[in-house]
Amino acid sequence: MTDIFLETRNLKKVYPDGTEALKNITLTFNKGELVSIIGPSGAGKSTFLRSINRLNQPSSGEVIFQNEQITNVKGKKLLLVRRQIGMIFQDFNLIKRSTTVRNVLHGRLGYMSSLKGAFGRFSEEDVKEALAILRRVGLEDHAFKRADELSGGQQQRVGIARAIAQKPALILADEPIASLDPSSSSNVMNYLKTISEEDGITTIVNLHQVDVAKRFASRIIGIKAGEVVFDGKPNELTEQRINEIYDQRGLVNELTS
Amino acid sequence: MNLPLEEALQQQSNKQQLQYEAYKSRKRSLLYNRYFILGILAILIIWSWVGTKFHIMDLFSGFSNMAIFIFQDLLPPDFTTIPSFVGPILETLYMSYVGLLFSVTFSLFFGLMAAKNTTVHPAVAIVSRSFIAFLRSIPAMVWGILLVAAIGLGPLAGTLALGLSGIGILGKAFADLLEEIDENQVNAVRATGANWYQVIGQAVWPQFKPGFVGWSLYKMDLNIREASVLGVVGAGGIGFALEGSISLFQYQQASVGILAIFALILVVEFITAKLREKII
Ligand SMILES: Nc1ncnc2c1ncn2[C@@H]1O[C@H](COP(=O)(O)OP(=O)(O)OP(=O)(O)O)[C@@H](O)[C@H]1O
Ligand SMILES: [Mg+2]
Repeated sequence: MTDIFLETRNLKKVYPDGTEALKNITLTFNKGELVSIIGPSGAGKSTFLRSINRLNQPSSGEVIFQNEQITNVKGKKLLLVRRQIGMIFQDFNLIKRSTTVRNVLHGRLGYMSSLKGAFGRFSEEDVKEALAILRRVGLEDHAFKRADELSGGQQQRVGIARAIAQKPALILADEPIASLDPSSSSNVMNYLKTISEEDGITTIVNLHQVDVAKRFASRIIGIKAGEVVFDGKPNELTEQRINEIYDQRGLVNELTS
Repeated sequence: MNLPLEEALQQQSNKQQLQYEAYKSRKRSLLYNRYFILGILAILIIWSWVGTKFHIMDLFSGFSNMAIFIFQDLLPPDFTTIPSFVGPILETLYMSYVGLLFSVTFSLFFGLMAAKNTTVHPAVAIVSRSFIAFLRSIPAMVWGILLVAAIGLGPLAGTLALGLSGIGILGKAFADLLEEIDENQVNAVRATGANWYQVIGQAVWPQFKPGFVGWSLYKMDLNIREASVLGVVGAGGIGFALEGSISLFQYQQASVGILAIFALILVVEFITAKLREKII
């Protein structure tokens, strides 16, 4: 029981327009594992990640994070939960007009007072730490450039640096390489893997590329039409299982039945 | 053997003919629309021509009267009266600046409340938008007349008039700017555990700042112009002094006032342009 790090029970999400994005997702994640979630477009991968850090509110079911029920936490408690969960986005979502180092420092906001945070009065310790993290992702020379002056791959590494600055226990990455070329992609995935291993951070990565998932993840989960249809080791993910996950006819049959 | 092919060709050309007819009738109705609009424009022009009793000759006689007035009465400017305009000029600057601070402060509040993505409640957004629209619908000049009646002659009335009409303009501009902000960037900062104030300061403000500075400086330009005119209804500033000299038929003194307004606007526009470059 205690080594279960994150758990979702019967997690369900129905959007206001009636779209049933998640149907009864029950999963457990262990400390330090790098899990990849794959599945066709619209399967509910993003919705699942956003339900964990509550960028959207699940309709029913539970999320249990480090033995704590967090499905309905509000206010200050919610901020404390989010602080422990770093998130990385497909489109990086950096504050474009702010400098690289400032974007990394945003990871520290959850640890600061409202006013200091609002006016960006970061402590010397935090700034030094942010610069050290930038060195770690190979961007020490770009610390004072505006974020939108960096290339896509560099911006995503800033995104990773921002997440690390939170000193998170969990990292959620929603298609972190979908907007990148192949070489930046494996670069970014390598950083995610290294950090997960060195810092013992549980990492959940949504991916479209099955081969990348197989190469980097220690476990793969397949989601289709809001349901888990595969959960196993990369070598268990055979051609046939892949076809089952991405089989569009299966999806159509399901919808019409 | 050949027949089906010929039939098909015949059908093809028939269809083409039909489509061509459709094209022509479309074009014809477009042309009618155009005549209709031109007709309405012509009627409006004639109506306003008659309504304002406009005569081409008036244009010429008005022009010559104007020239006579400028050369006989306004010129040369009596530069010895410059010192009497220094006070009013400073007062105009002060009215514009304080009026700007007033409208920026309140516009930030009402703009935040009026924008769908930063408001505390949708109902508050509607009320705030309506309030801003109400202030915008009344020109600064009308506020000036009302406020002079309410609190008396002087720069305070002018300052408040600029402030109130400014909320109408800046409040709407700020709300629109806020609604155009990239929500994904904001959500990313929210996901770090940042609270409302930190999200506003670190994610909303950097996106909002260029528009905020641009609009506020533009409003400063507008304020200088409006403040110059507000004096005419007694709301203080250079316009008040100008109106004073004109009503005493001191036209050579008035022409110094006009030159002063001209210089003031140029100087302020130069400074705001420099500031804009620096800050944005
Ligand atoms: N805000 C929303 N309102 C309504 N429906 C939504 C919303 N967001 C997502 N959906 C719907 O929920 C379903 C799951 O979407 P989600 O974004 O989670 O899929 P995904 O697996 O991440 O897809 P992709 O691989 O294309 O990113 C889709 O049918 C989508 O159209
Ligand atoms: Mg997605």
